[in-house]
Amino acid sequence: MNLQTLSLHHSINLPSPNLNNSNRLGFDWPLRTVRHKGFKVCSVMSRDTQTQIQTQTQTQTRKTDVLQLIDETEESLFRTGKFGRFGGIFVPETLVTCLKVLLSEFNLCMHDPHFQGELSTALRDYVGRETPLYFAERLTDHYKNGRGEGPDIYLKREDLSHGGAHKINNALAQAMLAKRMGRRSVVAATGAGQHGVATAAACAKLAMECTIIMGHLDMERQSSNVLLMKNFGAEVKSVRGTFKDAASEAIREWVGDLERKYYLAGTAVGPHPCPAMVREFQSIIGKETRRQAVEKWGGEPDVLVACVGSGSNALGMFHEFVRDKDIRLIGVEAAGTGIDGETHSATLAKGEIGVYHGAMTLLLQDHEGQILGPRSVGVGLEYPGVSPELSFLREIGRAEFHTATDEEALDAYALLCRLEGICPALEAAHALAHLGKLCPTLPDGAKVVVNCSGRGDKDIETVFKYQQLKSAQVSDGNNHPKPLQM
Amino acid sequence: MAFAASSSSAATARTSAQSDLAFRIPSNPPKFAKFAPSISRRSPPISCKMAATAVVDMELDAEALQRPDAFGRFGRFGGKYVPETLMAALTELEAAFNSLATDHEFQKELDGILKDYVGRESPLYFAERLTQHYKRHDGTGPHVYLKREDLNHTGAHKINNAVAQALLAKRLGKKRIIAETGAGQHGVATATVCARFGLECIIYMGAQDMERQALNVFRMRLLGAEVRAVHSGTATLKDATSEAIRDWVTNVETTHYILGSVAGPHPYPMMVREFHKVIGQETRKQALEKWGGKPDVIVACIGGGSNAMGIFHEFVEDEDVRLIGVEAAGFGLDSGKHAATLTKGEIGVLHGAMSYLLQDEDGQIIEPHSISAGLDYPGVGPEHSFLKDLGRAEYHSITDEEALEAFKRLSRLEGIIPALETSHALAYLEKLCPTLPDGTKVVLNCSGRGDKDVHTAINYLKL
Repeated sequence: MNLQTLSLHHSINLPSPNLNNSNRLGFDWPLRTVRHKGFKVCSVMSRDTQTQIQTQTQTQTRKTDVLQLIDETEESLFRTGKFGRFGGIFVPETLVTCLKVLLSEFNLCMHDPHFQGELSTALRDYVGRETPLYFAERLTDHYKNGRGEGPDIYLKREDLSHGGAHKINNALAQAMLAKRMGRRSVVAATGAGQHGVATAAACAKLAMECTIIMGHLDMERQSSNVLLMKNFGAEVKSVRGTFKDAASEAIREWVGDLERKYYLAGTAVGPHPCPAMVREFQSIIGKETRRQAVEKWGGEPDVLVACVGSGSNALGMFHEFVRDKDIRLIGVEAAGTGIDGETHSATLAKGEIGVYHGAMTLLLQDHEGQILGPRSVGVGLEYPGVSPELSFLREIGRAEFHTATDEEALDAYALLCRLEGICPALEAAHALAHLGKLCPTLPDGAKVVVNCSGRGDKDIETVFKYQQLKSAQVSDGNNHPKPLQM
Repeated sequence: MAFAASSSSAATARTSAQSDLAFRIPSNPPKFAKFAPSISRRSPPISCKMAATAVVDMELDAEALQRPDAFGRFGRFGGKYVPETLMAALTELEAAFNSLATDHEFQKELDGILKDYVGRESPLYFAERLTQHYKRHDGTGPHVYLKREDLNHTGAHKINNAVAQALLAKRLGKKRIIAETGAGQHGVATATVCARFGLECIIYMGAQDMERQALNVFRMRLLGAEVRAVHSGTATLKDATSEAIRDWVTNVETTHYILGSVAGPHPYPMMVREFHKVIGQETRKQALEKWGGKPDVIVACIGGGSNAMGIFHEFVEDEDVRLIGVEAAGFGLDSGKHAATLTKGEIGVLHGAMSYLLQDEDGQIIEPHSISAGLDYPGVGPEHSFLKDLGRAEYHSITDEEALEAFKRLSRLEGIIPALETSHALAYLEKLCPTLPDGTKVVLNCSGRGDKDVHTAINYLKL
């Protein structure tokens, strides 16, 4: 349990979240609960217990129960901010009012045809939507077995969006919301820089001031993105560390100037309404995919695959299909140099429940509740937490999560370049890497849609160094794989 | 230079023979609409510096003008100034292209690729803050729209042509593709489509350029292309071009040469224009949807001229639409370091076509300069030379410094980073907009994105 963030928790003037969900589901968990100012908060459980519970959960929960849970969650989401036992609003008092205001404004703009019309136009003319659903013919052939059978692989081309990633969908919509709310200035935190770039671009377009906070380690690794942000006129501030430190600093800045500033969350984490809001704005991905699937093959996808850092592109794709129980939802996290080591970012595989950045979710923490620094060659996947909604979907067995190592992702990058002439972002390459394990298990003609969440121009130097390292190892005759120093 | 040197006498002979035939309507003309300029005029006799004795006197017959005619001429420009060994390949290419123009299967396949792979149609974006920037004190000013070719796969308009030529090559049964590249943009686009279609790809690049563009070289290799270094001459673009042509001459049966712009021998200028004309066609449709009319002014940057031809072509016969091309003035037109071919060039033959080009008194090519690699070409597409002489299009130029300012301006005002090439067109708006009446619809072809140029720009912009 992350006790630091727990100490910031307080009673919120909302109808109390239904923590008795556990009884409804018939769970019998050996939980240690802590009472803190009127709220039961689950403390850490041992990993074995969690696995047991997960298995029990998955076998006990039938598909109709899953749908029921999903429906109930959606119904109460606005009020409670909860996805099962995940989510919530674990924040200092100072933030409660503005989060309530944000929730209310978000709700208004979702029902405002004028705002929706403007957003639609901006998504079409500025971002370049709709993005294509592209049949990857050569990739499909590559994964055919000896008998010529295999799934049909489609790529949802978010790499073609303005700025080169799906991040702009959310950044633009929130910047428009901020403007509508009368805010003059936007503050955001960024890891790989894609969200920073998207936010800076949107702010330039909407004539808003923009401050992007970035960890100094990330600034070194993604220096080209830093230049792009500055070029848009944004102020880029450095903090010690990586994204998790930048996010904390950004929230601090926001708290210091609540009237003028708007904190633009880049992904589906954080206190309610951030996860719900980001998911809504990204859900256009899934909505388009549904329509395009009907146009192309007169049906639905069978399997959806997306990489998972914090979860925004995955949720953007999954959300539309979450009630279609025949559609498999697969998230792929970063296993870094190996899932059993310490350098990875596989929160859903290895994380434990706790509260982080305002939400209850799974997170990478040690036995003292201190955050473990995540690490991946796909810098955008480096986040110790994960969206509470994805934690929920995993728990009820609606979505499955796997991992891919740095090396597998780098190889997948090269493969897509060679076969389709598309250089994916290293983050998206994690999803592509999983095809190697997935495709042999699928029946002939199964429709697989992979969310190609970004383009990989930004990663070309990383891939270059990796390939140089690989050829150096080969020429050395060195059999010991060196850790990738990027 | 290879073409010009070997073909000057042949060119003379061909030209005088052609002048009798040039404006007789061929029995089986390619299907292009005739252009009837409002002003028909006698053009002055021209003297080609490459062959001092040649004097060609042409009268422009308004009714018989075709773009191009059966011999690949746009008025007196264009043609096929190539070694004999390439004539068959060019004829075959032209025949294949003409037959595919009516082949629905080919069109359908190409349309599908343009849509799902390239990401067309590209939006016509109303640049609100840029429009605001150009409003005068009384609140009047033109409306500025950007045709977003920067959103295409690979980030520029180049892919439209590369994809279509690769598909064409496949139809021709060619398994091997060659191209030349300077900074690497055209090389990357070619390597990209070859990966997509599973074609063998060889890119010729000057050794000097390879050093300066190591990441682009790596990118091409990652895409499966072989990048061959050219050490001859100054080891830059024009030497790479000559080497590519030599390869083509040697391997013409198995190899297709993907030329990146509307330059070169017929049928390339026509073909590349046809493959890019989708830009203008979409613009017409989108203009109608957005404001129920046509653009009043169209602006585009000019290197070889492909993006400009792509957007101009649809509107060439709409006389009320002004067409403006913007070239690179580099360090200034008087500095000698620029690439403003249509302003400062003289007629000659380069890379197989007669057109304006930057040449000295001895007919040697002057090394051009521009901060943007894509505009750094000493020639220009023959159709642009033709439109200039006709007065149908106007051509201006913009310095490196003005282009950099425009780069920064669009980034700050619209959150769009334009390619430095495109920035030349954007810079011209500073001079153009104050002269335009209120509400004039200006469409600028945003031909590419500028992520590749940010490092170049920071040195100047001190970010």
